[in-house]
Amino acid sequence: MAHRILIIDDEDDIREVAALSLETVAGWDVVTANSGAQGLVRAAECQPDAILLDVMMPGMDGPSTFRELRKNPATARIPVLLLTAKVQASDQRRFADLGVEAVLFKPFDPLTLPNQIASVLGWN
Amino acid sequence: MKPSPQPFLAEALDRLWAQFLPQLEERVGILEAAGAALSARELTIGEREQANSAAHKLAGVLGTFGLTKGTILAREAEILYSAEPDLDPETPARLAAIAAQLRAIVSTRK
Repeated sequence: MAHRILIIDDEDDIREVAALSLETVAGWDVVTANSGAQGLVRAAECQPDAILLDVMMPGMDGPSTFRELRKNPATARIPVLLLTAKVQASDQRRFADLGVEAVLFKPFDPLTLPNQIASVLGWN
Repeated sequence: MKPSPQPFLAEALDRLWAQFLPQLEERVGILEAAGAALSARELTIGEREQANSAAHKLAGVLGTFGLTKGTILAREAEILYSAEPDLDPETPARLAAIAAQLRAIVSTRK
């Protein structure tokens, strides 16, 4: 059965390219949300196998969304991978300390993104 | 054997590039305007924040479309706008040059 991934990102270009990559290269089912708030609802509804979560979003940012996901028993156990264009070491440490499965970086290679995710989650 | 997704992926990426090109050009336009305003010592805090955000978004997306040089330049612009861009006398010219290079990179991707 195909894995189901929820992509939460306010940038529609990134969201679409990531969705294309995961659907085309890996054959996974993709659900998308364009904000943290929408992501919380979709995560509870769709019960994805993993969530790819952007860090910098207006309103509820990635770390805040992650904390809300963890508070809700319906979404608390879903693995979350942060996606960020921040490359400074201090940012990376801060994100890793949140307790997410992994921190992935933009720009990503659409051809290898699914493999990166699969490796982190032990799906290979 | 399962066929390689590469040709289909490349075609689909080209379609997405065409779809999002106006948005990418708009972000480059923000950087051009901010560079000009900075050179004229007229850059407002709001314009600087907008430029910082545009540079951040370009840094995140250009490499995804294979434009690695664009990501490197946009990241440099983001760092410069995150600091005090009017403190170093060479920064305005550098930011204007980066915006021009980004315009060329974005306009020449097929």
